[in-house]
Amino acid sequence: MGLMHVDEPAKDYQNEQLLDKQKLAAPVKSAVDKFQLLPEFLKGLVKQHLDSFNYFVNVGIKKIIRANDRIVSGIDPNIFLRFKDVRIGQPSVTVDGVSEKLTPHMCRLSDMTYAAPILVNIEYVQGGHPEKITMEKNDVVIGRMPIMLRSRCCVLYGKDEAELARLGECPLDPGGYFIIKGTEKVLLIQEQLSKNRIIIDTDKKGNVNASVTSSTETVKSKTVIQMEKEKMYLLLNQFTKKIPIMVVMKAMGMESDQEVVQMVGRDPRFSALLLPSIEECAGLDIYTQENALEYLEGKVKRSTFGSPPSDKEGRALPILRDVFLANVPVCNNNFRPKCLYVAVMLRRMMEAMLNKDAMDDKDYVGNKRLELSGQLVSLLFEDLFKTMISEVKKHVDFVLSKPSRSSKIDPSLYITRDSITIGLERTLSTGNFDVKRFKMHRKGMTQVLARLSFIGTLGHMTRISPQFEKSRKVSGPRALQPSQWGMLCPCDTPEGEACGLVKNLALMTHVTTDEEEGPLVSLCYCLGVEDLELLSGEELHNPNSFLVIFNGLILGKHRRPQRFADAMRKLRRAGKIGEFVSIFVNEKQRCVYIASDGGRVCRPLVIADKGISRIKEHHMKELLDGVRTFDDFLREGLIEYLDVNEENNALIALYEGDATTDTTHIEIEPFTILGVCAGLIPYPHHNQSPRNTYQCAMGKQAMGNIAYNELCRMDTLLYLLVYPQRPLLTTRTIELVGYDKLGAGQNATVAVMSYSGYDIEDAIVMNKASLDRGFGRCIVMKKYSAINQKYANNTADRILRPDRTGPGAERMQHLVLYYIILVSLTYPCCRYWMMMDLLLPGEIIRPNDIYVNKESPMETRGSTVSPMGQSDCKYRSTRQTYKGPEGETCAVDRVALCSDKNGDLCIKFIIRHTRRPEVGDKFSSRHGQKGVCGTIIQQEDFPFSERGICPDLIMNPHGFPSRMTVGKMIELLGGKAGVSCGRFHYGSAFGEPSGHADTVDAISETLVKHGFSYSGKDLIYSGITGCPLQAYIFMGPIYYQKLKHMVLDKMHARGSGPRVMLTRQPTEGRARNGGLRVGEMERDCLIAYGASMLIFERLMISSDPFEVQVCRVCGLLGYYNNKLKAGICSTCKNGDNISTMKLPYACKLLIQELQSMNIVPRLKLAEA
Amino acid sequence: MDGVSYQRFPKVKIRELKDDYLKFELRDTDASMANALRRVMIAEVPTIAIDLVEIEVNSSVLNDEFIAHRLGLIPLTSERAMSMRFSRDCDACDGDGQCEFCSVEFHLRAKCHSDQTLDVTSKDLYSSDHTVVPVDFADPTGYDSNDQQRGIIIVKLRRGQELRLRAIARKGIGKDHAKWSPAATVTFMYEPEIHINEDLMETLTLEEKQSWVESSPTKVFDIDPNTGQVIVVDAEAYTYDDEVIKKAEAMGKPGLVEIYAKEDSFIFTVESTGAIKASQLVLNAIEILKQKLDAVRLSEDTVEADDQFGELGAHMRGG
Repeated sequence: MGLMHVDEPAKDYQNEQLLDKQKLAAPVKSAVDKFQLLPEFLKGLVKQHLDSFNYFVNVGIKKIIRANDRIVSGIDPNIFLRFKDVRIGQPSVTVDGVSEKLTPHMCRLSDMTYAAPILVNIEYVQGGHPEKITMEKNDVVIGRMPIMLRSRCCVLYGKDEAELARLGECPLDPGGYFIIKGTEKVLLIQEQLSKNRIIIDTDKKGNVNASVTSSTETVKSKTVIQMEKEKMYLLLNQFTKKIPIMVVMKAMGMESDQEVVQMVGRDPRFSALLLPSIEECAGLDIYTQENALEYLEGKVKRSTFGSPPSDKEGRALPILRDVFLANVPVCNNNFRPKCLYVAVMLRRMMEAMLNKDAMDDKDYVGNKRLELSGQLVSLLFEDLFKTMISEVKKHVDFVLSKPSRSSKIDPSLYITRDSITIGLERTLSTGNFDVKRFKMHRKGMTQVLARLSFIGTLGHMTRISPQFEKSRKVSGPRALQPSQWGMLCPCDTPEGEACGLVKNLALMTHVTTDEEEGPLVSLCYCLGVEDLELLSGEELHNPNSFLVIFNGLILGKHRRPQRFADAMRKLRRAGKIGEFVSIFVNEKQRCVYIASDGGRVCRPLVIADKGISRIKEHHMKELLDGVRTFDDFLREGLIEYLDVNEENNALIALYEGDATTDTTHIEIEPFTILGVCAGLIPYPHHNQSPRNTYQCAMGKQAMGNIAYNELCRMDTLLYLLVYPQRPLLTTRTIELVGYDKLGAGQNATVAVMSYSGYDIEDAIVMNKASLDRGFGRCIVMKKYSAINQKYANNTADRILRPDRTGPGAERMQHLVLYYIILVSLTYPCCRYWMMMDLLLPGEIIRPNDIYVNKESPMETRGSTVSPMGQSDCKYRSTRQTYKGPEGETCAVDRVALCSDKNGDLCIKFIIRHTRRPEVGDKFSSRHGQKGVCGTIIQQEDFPFSERGICPDLIMNPHGFPSRMTVGKMIELLGGKAGVSCGRFHYGSAFGEPSGHADTVDAISETLVKHGFSYSGKDLIYSGITGCPLQAYIFMGPIYYQKLKHMVLDKMHARGSGPRVMLTRQPTEGRARNGGLRVGEMERDCLIAYGASMLIFERLMISSDPFEVQVCRVCGLLGYYNNKLKAGICSTCKNGDNISTMKLPYACKLLIQELQSMNIVPRLKLAEA
Repeated sequence: MDGVSYQRFPKVKIRELKDDYLKFELRDTDASMANALRRVMIAEVPTIAIDLVEIEVNSSVLNDEFIAHRLGLIPLTSERAMSMRFSRDCDACDGDGQCEFCSVEFHLRAKCHSDQTLDVTSKDLYSSDHTVVPVDFADPTGYDSNDQQRGIIIVKLRRGQELRLRAIARKGIGKDHAKWSPAATVTFMYEPEIHINEDLMETLTLEEKQSWVESSPTKVFDIDPNTGQVIVVDAEAYTYDDEVIKKAEAMGKPGLVEIYAKEDSFIFTVESTGAIKASQLVLNAIEILKQKLDAVRLSEDTVEADDQFGELGAHMRGG
C-alpha cells in the first residue's frame, strides 16, 4: 500500500510537467492538504464556552448537588430533605402560572432573561412528632438558570439554518453568551495561575519562593515556602509569623532530620542548603512533634470568629491538616504525603537556587489556566445553592423550635426559587462576582456583547481578561510568550494600558474541562507507578526514577518514565482515556506530569510516526465526502490534542515536508496561530507587526452587517453599511468565520498618489461620484424608548392625543393614532385594545420633534388613588423629544411595544439615519492604516487611466515607508489580479507554501496576462489638465472599512448655552451642549503673549461674570438691597463703604465656601 | 501679437460606433481641448434621473432611503434632456419641479403574492412620458432575450411584501450628482507613435525578438511568421508602460525602439450609461462646450463685462 502511494505522485509529476508550467514553479505542495480539517473543527466558533457550560450542566451541577444533597434539621435529625437528582429543563418563562417556551430572540426583544428551570427530584420527611412519612417529589423547581445560547440546553442546539431562521436567529451567530434582561452578556474568559502546582520564583528581595495555591472543593489557600538568609520558612495566612520549615516537618511527625535530608535528596549540596534550617530548628529546642506543635500553637493567628479549638488537637494541627497544602489529602492523620510534598518543594527550591534555569516562569502559558463561563457559573451556583440550603435549614429549625405547631412540617415547601434565580441574574447582569465562600470579589466579569460588527462580536467571545490589574508597570506579563504559539493570538491585543494583558484565543485553541481523576490514578498505578506510601524517603529521588505527578499531586515514582508516558499516550490515542489528558515528561525536574484538570489550553496536531504523517490522502478524501468527521480523526489516533506542557515533549514540524525522523507531530495549518480578528488581514506576515495589532482593534469598529437578523433586533445603537461587500482578497479564516457573508467594508479602487494637499497626515481624498453611487454610505439606527410607568399609589403615566393647536403642536404633527390590539401571550383568546398616538414607521422625524406625548402624575407616593378619577391638573407633561443631529432628517424605522421587566408598557422607537461620507469621517484599510476623509473631489477632476478606470479614493504614498505595510501593497496587487481574472485571491497568513495565499509572482503573471503592468502601476492622466502624470501610479482595489467615528456625531460648537447651576460656568461636553474650555495651557499662552484683555474676556466675561458688593472696611461680600437700591454689608450692618465690582461667580462661590469652613478671605480693594 | 494665429481646426474620425459605445480620434488639437470635452461629457451633459420619491407603502426589507437611492441611479432615456428645463429655472411651476416642462412622473406598484421572490425591476416603473423610460438593456440581437425581466433590479419582495411609490424625475447634470452623469466611461489616450530601429532589431536572434515582443504586457508587437521581422500590430494597445524600452536596455540594445506620444492626437473611448446614445453624448458635450465658450465671448462683447470682470474684462478684450 505504502509503495503504491510513492509511485503514483511520481507519475503525476511527469504529466504535470508537460501540462502546467506554473504549477511547477510553485513550491512542492505538502503531500496532504489538511486544511479541510479546519471547517470541520470550527463548526462552533466559540466551542470553549459551549463545552464549558455543557460540562457544568451535564456534570458540574450534579456534582454540586451530590456534595450538598442533604438538609437535616438541627433540632430533629429525623426530618431531612435529600436531593436525588438535578437537571436543567427547557428554557421557559412562567406567566400567570402557565409556563411558556422561550426563544432567545423573544428574550432580546422583550427584555427577558433567557433561563431554564433547575429541576430537582427530592425525597423528604414530612410530618410532626408522632408520624413521619417519607415523601418524594419530582421536578421541583429550585430556581432558574440563565442558559448559554447554542449550549446543550438551548433551543438552538443542533438546529439547521432554516430552523434558526424561523426562530429569528442568525445562523452565523456563534452563541456562547447569555441573555439577561434583554441584554446579551458575555462572561469573559479569566486567566489565572495554575492551581495546585508548585511554582518556584523569586520575590522582590530576591528570595526564592515556592508557592502552591491550593484549591479543593472545600478549601482554598496559598502556601508559600521562602528561603530567607539561607533558612527556609513557611508563610501561611493562618500563622502570624513565618515558621521555620523544619518545625513544620516535625509538627507533621517527621521527627528525624535524617529522613528529611533523605527525602530532599542525599546530594551533599542539598544537605548543605538544608543545614541552616535544621540548625535553626535545633536552636529552638524543638525535637519532637509535641514540641513543634506547641511552638506552632503560639503562632496561630487568633481569629475573632471561627470554631473554638478542640482541646484534644489544639489549633495548629487542624491548620496543617486542612489549610496547609490543602490539595494534598490527609487520611487518618497520615501526614506522610504532605511531608513528601514539602520535601519535593524544598528540593525544587534548592535546585532553583543552584541553577537559575529551574525557576518557573509565571507568564508561561503552561502555568496558566483559563476559567470559562461554565466554571464561573458553577462557582456562583454552588454558593447560591449552599445559601439556599442553609436558609431552608434555618426555616425548618425555626418552625420546629416553635412550641406549638398546628400544621405538619413539610421541608419541601421552604425551598425558595427566588434566591438562586435573582442571584444568578444579578451577578451576570452586573458582572460583580461576590462569592464570600470562596473569597472571590471580582468586578467586570461580564460585559455587554459588542454588536458593533460581526467580527467585534467574535473577538469579544475569544477575549481573555487578565489576572493582574492593568496599572502594573511590568513588562513580563505583557511580553509575547513563545509558549503562546498556536494557543493565543500574537497580534490581537489592545493598545494602551491593557496591552499584552488582555489576550485573545487563537483559531484552533481548545480549553479543557475537568476530567474524572479516579480512573486515571488507578490506571497510573496499573502502568507501574510505585505508590508513594510504599517508598522510603531515600528511594524518592533515586537517580534512575522519575516522580509521577498527577494534577499537582505526587502519585509515586516510575523507573521507566518514557515508557510510561508512551503507554499513557497510546491509551489516549486509542480513546481509552480522555483526549485532553496531557502527559508531560520533564527531564530537568525528573518528573512525569499528568494533567486532567480544566482550563488548560490545548490545540489539535497531526500525529507523525518518525516524521511520517498519519493522515493520508484517503483520509482527507473521506472527510470531503462526508464519511469522516473530525472526531473520527481523533478517535483513530490521527490527530491529538496537546497542551502547552506536552508540546515541550513533541517535535512539531510546520509542514509535512520539513519533517525529520525525530518529528512527532505536524501542524494542521500555520495560519491558525492567529485569532479571529487577525485572521481577516491579508498577508499579515508581510506587515510590520504592530500594524496587525492596530487592525485587530479597528476591525471591531468597522461598520457592515452584524448578523442576518440585524433588522429584527432592537439594539440601542446599530451601524450598518448600505452596500457591504466581501473582500476581493480573502483569507481562509474569513471563509471559516463567515466574514465573507457578513462583511464590514467595501472594495475601493485606490490610487497611491499625492493629490491636492488635502491628503497629508493619512487623510484620504474621495471621489464624489463614488460617494453618490453609494460608497461608504451607512445607516445609523438608534433606539429611543419610553416607559409608561405605574407608580406605587396606583397612578400611572398616560399617553395623550397630540395637541393640534397648542404650544409645540408643530412638533407633534407626525403622531398618528394607533389602535393596538394586545393579545395575551398565555390566553390568545383574551385580547384587549388600546388607542395610542405614536409615530408611523417611515415617518420623517426632525430634532426637537415629540415622539411620545406623555404626562406623569405629580403625586406618585402616598395613599392609593383611584387610577381613573385624576384630574388633568394633577399631571405634568413629560413629553419626550427627539434630539438628533441638527439639520438632518431621520426616519422612524420601527416602533415596538412590549412590557418591560416591571410589567409596564414600554414603547421602543428605532430611528434611522442614512449618512454619506463627509469630510472628517474615518476610514481604514485592513492593515492598521486609518485615515480621515480629507476632501471630496468631483469625478472629472480625478485622475483616470486610459482604460477609463478612475479611483474611488486616493491615498498618500507617505503612508507606506514608515508603516511598512507590505501586505497592503500585495492586497492591492492581488485585488487587481482578482478583478481582472474573476477569481477571489487568497492571502492567508503564512499561506504561500501551502497554497492558501497567492504569491506575488503568480499575481504579477495574472496582471500581465490581462494587460496590466506586473508591478500594479498604471499610466494615469490628470483629470484637471488632461496630461499624463509624471510617474506611474500604483492603483488597484483595496478593502476599506468605514469606522464608527463620524464627524456628525462629534462636531460641536457653541455660542451661548446652558450653564452649570452651581458655578454658573458653561457646561462641559458635547452631550450637554457645553462650551469649549480655555484650559490652563491655553491660558499660559495668552499670558505669555500678553493678551490680557483676551484672557479677561475668556475667563470672566464669557464664562461666569457676577456683580458683587464688597465692603471696603471689612473686605467681606455684602448684598444688594433692592428696596434701598444700595449695597449693604451684613457684617458692618451698614452700606457706607460698599464698592460694586465684577468677579467670576466661581470665585464668589469659593469665598463663601471658605467662609463656611471658618476661613475668612477678605478682599482689599484699591483704586484702579 | 496680431500676426500669429493659434486657430486650429480639430478633426474627428469615428472608429467604432455602437449605441452605448463610441471610439473616435480627435486630431489637431491639444490636451486642454480633449480634456475639456471629457470633463463636459462626465459632468455637464444633462440627463434625466429620479430626484424625488414619495413612498406610499414599503414593506420590503430595504428601507425608504435605500430604495430612493437605488431609483435615482437607474438611467432613464434622456434624449429630451437637452430641451428640458432645469426645475430650478422653470417658470411654469415656480421651481417646485412638478410640471411637465421640467419633470416626469413615475409610478411603481408591486406586491408579491406568490411564494417565489418577486424581483422589482426598472421595468416596473411606469412613466408619465413615453420618451423618458428606464433604459432597456435587452439586446435585441442578444442571446438571452428570452428572459423577460431584465431590467435593473430595485428590490426583491417575498410573499406579502409590497412597494408602492411615486417618483419624480428631473433634469440635472453629473456635477450635482453622479446619477445625472450620462457617461459610464470617458477616457482618452495620446496616440502613440512607434519607430522600430530595424537595423538594430536585425541584430537580435529570433528568440531574443520573441522575448522582447513578449515583454510588453499588451500585444503591441508581433513577429511576422514569414520574414521573422518584428512588426507593430496594434500601436494603440501600448499603454506607455516603458516595458519594451526597459527590456531593450536590459538586452543591451538601447534605442531599439522609440515611442512618442503624439501631442495633438487623441483616441477617445466613450461609453454611455444608456441614458443617451454615445454619439449623442459627444454631440451634446460639444454643444455645451460651445455654449460655455459663448458665455465667455458674450461677456467680451457686452459692456457689463467691465463691471463684472473689471480689469480682467478689459484685458480680455485686448485693452
